[in-house]
Amino acid sequence: MHPGRQLAVLGLLFVILYALVFFGAGAKGSVTDRLQPKLGLDLVGGTQATYVASLASNGQPPPQTSMEEARKIIDQRVNALGVAEAEVVVEGNRNIVVSVAGEADDQLKNVGQAAQMRFRKVLKATGDNAAVAANPPTANPSASAVPSGSAAPKPSSSTGAKATAKPSASTGGQGGGEKAPSPSATPSAPAPAPSASAAAPAPVTADIKEQRAAIEKKVGAAAWAAAEKLKDPVDLQTDPTAGIPFKAFGTLTGPEVNALTPEMQFNVPTIGCAEQLDKRPNGAIDAIDQKVVACQSGAKMYLDAAKVIGKDIDTATPQLDQQQGQWVVSLDFTSEGQAKWTALTREAFQPAADDSCVAAAQALSTGATHCLVAVVLDKTVISAPEIQGVLTGQSQITGQFNAVTAKELADQIKYGALPVTFEPAATQSVSATLGKQQLEAGLLAAAIGMGLVAIYAFFYYRLLGTVIFLSLILSGLLTFGALVVLGRTTGFTLTLAGIAGFIVSLGVAADSFVIYFERLKDEIHEGRSARSAVPRAWVRARRTIISANTITIMAAVVLYIVSIGAVKGFAFALGLSTILDLVVVFLFRHPIMTMFANTRAFMSPRVSGLGRAMKRVSTDVKEA
Amino acid sequence: MASKGFADRLYRGEANLNIVGRRKMWFAIAGALVLIAIGSFVFRQFHLGIEFAGGTQFVIPASVGTQEEAQSAVARAVESAGATEEANIGAAQRVGNGPDATYTVRTAALSQDQASAIKSALVADLKVPAEDISDDRVSAAWGTQVTQQALLGLGIFLVLVLGYLIVRFEWRMAVAAVASLLLDLVLTAGVYSLVGFEVTPSTVIGFLTILGFSLYDVVVVFDKVQENTRGITAGASQTYSEATNLAVNQTLMRSINTGLVALLPVGGLLFIGAGLLGAGSLKDLGLVLFVGMGLGVVSSILFASPMLAALKDREPRIKSHTARVLARRSSARSGDVARGERTRTPNATPSDEVPALAGSTPRPGVRPAAKRSNTRGGGAGNRPSGGQKRR
Repeated sequence: MHPGRQLAVLGLLFVILYALVFFGAGAKGSVTDRLQPKLGLDLVGGTQATYVASLASNGQPPPQTSMEEARKIIDQRVNALGVAEAEVVVEGNRNIVVSVAGEADDQLKNVGQAAQMRFRKVLKATGDNAAVAANPPTANPSASAVPSGSAAPKPSSSTGAKATAKPSASTGGQGGGEKAPSPSATPSAPAPAPSASAAAPAPVTADIKEQRAAIEKKVGAAAWAAAEKLKDPVDLQTDPTAGIPFKAFGTLTGPEVNALTPEMQFNVPTIGCAEQLDKRPNGAIDAIDQKVVACQSGAKMYLDAAKVIGKDIDTATPQLDQQQGQWVVSLDFTSEGQAKWTALTREAFQPAADDSCVAAAQALSTGATHCLVAVVLDKTVISAPEIQGVLTGQSQITGQFNAVTAKELADQIKYGALPVTFEPAATQSVSATLGKQQLEAGLLAAAIGMGLVAIYAFFYYRLLGTVIFLSLILSGLLTFGALVVLGRTTGFTLTLAGIAGFIVSLGVAADSFVIYFERLKDEIHEGRSARSAVPRAWVRARRTIISANTITIMAAVVLYIVSIGAVKGFAFALGLSTILDLVVVFLFRHPIMTMFANTRAFMSPRVSGLGRAMKRVSTDVKEA
Repeated sequence: MASKGFADRLYRGEANLNIVGRRKMWFAIAGALVLIAIGSFVFRQFHLGIEFAGGTQFVIPASVGTQEEAQSAVARAVESAGATEEANIGAAQRVGNGPDATYTVRTAALSQDQASAIKSALVADLKVPAEDISDDRVSAAWGTQVTQQALLGLGIFLVLVLGYLIVRFEWRMAVAAVASLLLDLVLTAGVYSLVGFEVTPSTVIGFLTILGFSLYDVVVVFDKVQENTRGITAGASQTYSEATNLAVNQTLMRSINTGLVALLPVGGLLFIGAGLLGAGSLKDLGLVLFVGMGLGVVSSILFASPMLAALKDREPRIKSHTARVLARRSSARSGDVARGERTRTPNATPSDEVPALAGSTPRPGVRPAAKRSNTRGGGAGNRPSGGQKRR
């Protein structure tokens, strides 16, 4: 390639890169803002979010092993957000503290989510009528819900359930911190229960009994009894005032509602989604073998036991569904999970005759002919698709996703569920640990180091030192531009370690010059003219430079793929600087040297430092 | 310029140091150092930083003053509490804003008694109510997983690089290069273990930087070796070891240059980091890079090439060739010994220089003059001159 053309390519690269810096890749703000690479936690501080682990059912903090496992998963989730270097530590025995650089946009909102994934068939559905039920148009304030004084605690639970000795220790409430037991291979069909509500008996601990007694006291015995009798949601269509007796239930808090049986939660019309069901404690509906109630966009759903859970999923990837033009999360199941998933979809696609799920499906989505399976993440139904067939392969979750949320969900599923449930506590800004002083010192060190390299180059190679010097400046500018763009697009943050890495890489970049110039010296030794020596030396040096850089790039790629956390960021920086070094070598140094070789001054010993080699060449040189 | 003697010869790649010939000595030194390093791993282990080992975190209300003051207060308290082992004190960090802001300062793991002692020292020192200062254990921020994955990456990289070098050079060179890399890593880790420098995430990252750099040097030397020994068995004037030694000598200046050029910025980092700021990631990084890169340059010269020659000399073809060369030499007049011969390469062009013979000791103070002497030719050409050799 002609030297001029190579320089033109380099110029074009520069223009494109800096156009991106100033006008593309989400640039905004003033000129200095646009020139700001994203700096790391240690340099500019950032945001610190604390997550407090819920106590286990025995009132003890979760065991250290679970906390460490949770720390790992949260660490993976945070790092999946980008190449940012986040710090995740366990503090004391209940807190996990996550620190990330810069402003915490909503990045940290979901990393503390337990991400318990459950697939549950939708058995029944009803509207969220809490507001209407409590205040019907013809509201009669003096409702019959007069608190009766009888506060005698009755044995509650209409199902007559006893604490069963199921392997599942999960209480389905109280934010039980145990790990969800791995499901047995046989789907646990609900045991035939004496009552018509056919609920799988939930283990009722003394604690829950106590709570229920308290609630009964709060809402009044009459309302409680009426609620216990409900077999179906109260029909407000035919009788708008039917909800009045249950008005007191509208005052219950999330945790209180959680103590009720799922049937009550579902049937009592005054129990709403936003204020109550969604405010149940974390982990409220994680229990695998129980029916639960959950909400999705203004609908209450009564859901079956979870036949498929997060652990059955092998991997999850965000995808843009071309046909629909919307983001989906596609799921690959494990072999065991696939069998369960197929069974669940068959059950939903060909429901038994007496199954209420078809009616529920029609209530939720008009024209549905098959049952829905709700995809439940922690406490919310993220999507309740109608099952269109017996699914035997990869499946997708659809929902109101965009690129970001789809990736977030996929990451949550991929990295698994937390063994402990967390409540997010305060999010605070934190200062830099090193601060300006260290950053300035680092930059000063860089300047001094580069100055030394330049002095050495000038001393050793005379005028050729300028080529080294200019190349280093170019490398620096390219690297800086790339950092700014990458910081904005991929969230690559520059830490002090990264800065040091770049400083080192500039030194190594200067090294490829040494290879080249030493070759050039040798060629001139042999008595070549500069014009023939430059291309020859280039051809020979190129091979060495490419081999040596290939190794570095190999190291960077392997480390990037395999490692996690800070090492990943480092590998990224290493690969980036090496590739940019190669760009500068090929598109700048080579053409410049070619041009240089055509000047007279190039061969003068004073100018290029190559002359010393020339002196030794005898007069009987034979030109090639 | 030409009268500088050794420096000048070095500059022209004619230092003629017998490096490969003394390989037994280098191997013995390397072996001894490796043993010392491994012994140190076993008996002294490593001094792990807070990020690896976890530690204790003190929370102090921000009303006490600046970040630096909080940090120095903790430092004083640690001293007064007589926390015997050196509790590395991390940098203070301000958490939150406004009246409720606090500073957190992390130290190495302390016993409950020590933590309490430090806490009371802090209370006395800063004159804040005891309930405003809390101490808490913090876990390692760098899970074992990060280290495991980094090591896994290292393993995969070594296998890949071995494959690449086998394709690019040959298996003996690949083995010698990887052996030299491993030597660097072991010795660098050994220095850390022996001296007791603190191992922080920055250290690990710097350690991984050495990977590429160390091999970079070796590849450049081997490139030259490959060139000098191409078709060596066709001639009978030079053994493989001598050709290798010549290559090392020819690239010696380049290696030294490389080392200097790469170490200058690192040295800047280290001295600025350690001198101006005391502890911190700059110092950690500068230190590990300085040690590792320095060792990398040395081992590429003194270990990789001798190792290669040792491996090659076991190859039957080379073995018989070496014997032939030596036989020829012993029968030749001593004057001939001084003239090495190098083989023709495909694109060799005639030139009239006579290469130096590796292994022949230069007369001290000899002036490599423009006059072509029989004692020493100008062997700086990296290009084997296949042309008219005066026999």
